[in-house]
Amino acid sequence: MSQPSASCPSCGAPVVFRWSGSVQTVCAFCKSILVRTNLDLTKVGAVADLPPDSSPIQIGTEGVVDNKAFAVLGRILYEYEFGGWNEWHVVYNNGASGWLSDAQLEYDVSWQVQPPPPASAFPHNPQREQQFAWGGRVYQVTSVTRAHYMGVEGELPFQYWDKAEVVFADLRTCDEQFGTIDYTEDPPLLFLGRAVGFDDLRLKNVREFEGWRR
Amino acid sequence: MSSPAVTPPVVKAKALHCANCGGPVELRGFGHTLSVVCPQCHAVLDVSTPLVQILQRAQEAQERVHPKIPLGTRGQIENVAWEVIGFQVRQIVVDDVPYSWDEYLLFNPYYGFRYLSEYDGHWNFIRTLPLVPESVAGARPALRLRGVTYKHFQHSNATTTFVLGEFPWRAHRGETAAVDDFIAPPRMLSGERTDGEVVWSLGEYWTGGQIWKAFQLPGRPNPAVGVYANQPSPHHGRAGAMWRLSLWMLAALAAMMFYFTVSARREQVYAERHTFSTGTGGEPSLVTPVFELKGRPSNVELQIRTDLDNNWAYFNLALINQDTGRAWDFGREVSYYHGNDGGESWTEGGQSDSVSIPAIPPGHYYLRIEPEMDSKQASSMSYDVSIRRDVPTYTFFLIAAVLLMIPPIVSTMRVGAFETARWRESDYAPSSGGGE
Amino acid sequence: MRFSPLFLGWGVLVLGMTAMAEYNGWSLARINQVENVPKTVRDNPGAYRSTYGYYNRYIGGK
Repeated sequence: MSQPSASCPSCGAPVVFRWSGSVQTVCAFCKSILVRTNLDLTKVGAVADLPPDSSPIQIGTEGVVDNKAFAVLGRILYEYEFGGWNEWHVVYNNGASGWLSDAQLEYDVSWQVQPPPPASAFPHNPQREQQFAWGGRVYQVTSVTRAHYMGVEGELPFQYWDKAEVVFADLRTCDEQFGTIDYTEDPPLLFLGRAVGFDDLRLKNVREFEGWRR
Repeated sequence: MSSPAVTPPVVKAKALHCANCGGPVELRGFGHTLSVVCPQCHAVLDVSTPLVQILQRAQEAQERVHPKIPLGTRGQIENVAWEVIGFQVRQIVVDDVPYSWDEYLLFNPYYGFRYLSEYDGHWNFIRTLPLVPESVAGARPALRLRGVTYKHFQHSNATTTFVLGEFPWRAHRGETAAVDDFIAPPRMLSGERTDGEVVWSLGEYWTGGQIWKAFQLPGRPNPAVGVYANQPSPHHGRAGAMWRLSLWMLAALAAMMFYFTVSARREQVYAERHTFSTGTGGEPSLVTPVFELKGRPSNVELQIRTDLDNNWAYFNLALINQDTGRAWDFGREVSYYHGNDGGESWTEGGQSDSVSIPAIPPGHYYLRIEPEMDSKQASSMSYDVSIRRDVPTYTFFLIAAVLLMIPPIVSTMRVGAFETARWRESDYAPSSGGGE
Repeated sequence: MRFSPLFLGWGVLVLGMTAMAEYNGWSLARINQVENVPKTVRDNPGAYRSTYGYYNRYIGGK
């Protein structure tokens, strides 16, 4: 991974990008949200204090999916009516970018479907238990969530901060395939992957919790 | 590294003060907790923001429930440690009768959440599934998961009536969900539907003994009452095994019957026709010539064939050993009636009789016969007497076959009774409604 | 294949009893044993008095 270094335009602290595809990062010292262009880093906002940590995953955690090693580089925190979850941005050792979703410690890995499907592929007003077909599979909508952005951390492959409320539709199959339709944009974004168990990820460098051994 | 070169500190359990009574409240859920019940005043607090808010006031003191597994207890299940951090009582109403059960929220900061449910001493260890089961076509709704078919057991609307401890959602009294349970004992597949979300969970039946052992609880668990939806049948497989064993035994019985049929002497030692009538005077009794009964002590079959027609006769009989003076004394009645009752012909009785005289030692014997008939009218008959030595009694084989089938029949009835008790609590009970 | 040892014992008992009944020539009929029947009955069958065999119309008395 390339590690070009730069300085935070806000506080001057060193900022390192561990992945060449990162578009945005957060300065660990002053919590400024920094967006990278070809020329320089620009501060676009700041992150408020994040909610208390619940995930054993942290920036710097490493793991394995389908025999490919990955490192956790960033995250987006979401909150909705019944709770919150983390979308960890992970980068695999082949340079591919993906997501590790952590919702109440239920883990799903996914990758954005490229090229993005056309708007006509998606249900306009997703309903619980509706069917969605893609790539030879039929998924069922298991939840339709109105979420809002709570914060960001680390490196992300796109610009993302302070978004208004957004709708997500979670997709599942009978054999643990997983998907999310992100209605942030138009046309919506599709992420597909599968559910994984904590042990299957073989995580290293996880957070420790007082009174608990892993 | 884009972060300071300091490892993040170990996440610690938090404590705060109840917004209602000021008492201390400990949070064991490490940031997952959205709601917590103050252990002092039982107010439900919203802790999703730094500002602790009161979500719901305390419940009446007399309605407070004490969980059988205290909050904070840790147990070992599937090699993973779990801590009880939340407790709720949920209720459904069937035919105007409320049924309540307890749910415990188990937490591990790496592996997430699990649930324990308890009803009348029946426990279930439940985990949520990241999938949707497939529907199976059939008379009743059914689902297929990992190669197993689950039959629909019950649809209900569950309401939370009591909460204690912490939850990763804003748990409160009055919360509802539509629940569908499908069973494949010892497992239960449940779908919970709320607005905008459906969650599938898999429950595994546990006994109170297993729970007490996993959480090292003192005392003894409350005994299980009745049969629970996914309780495994203690008779599972037994009925089939009984029938298989019964088949082997019936085969042995058949072999025995074949052996005795083939090896019996069936030797005719006497056959003669006699006559009798009530009119003639003189001695009614007669004795047969002496005949020899050979072989080991076995039975003697005595057959009498008469020409009775709408009449009866009674034979006083004695098989007498000429040498030892021992006799086997008995009587046999033969009656035969028939008629035509307005077009419908009927018969009663028969013209012949056969009897087996038991365990007769070998030797020289004769038969004494003294017939009797209705003395009020003039009757006569002729009858054939035949005596055979060592004839198999097939009645014993019939009795043995029935006796050999009683245990598997009882076993099948027990299996049926257990399953009937199980389904009595479902939406599909034979009588009206159902309950759980 | 689990089987019940109790059922096996019962089956062995039933089969054993059946074998004994067949081998010894047991009977289900109600037969009474009488001893010391005199040899004169052969010449005079009327002298034999069956205490058991009579039809129940026989009511006491000699």
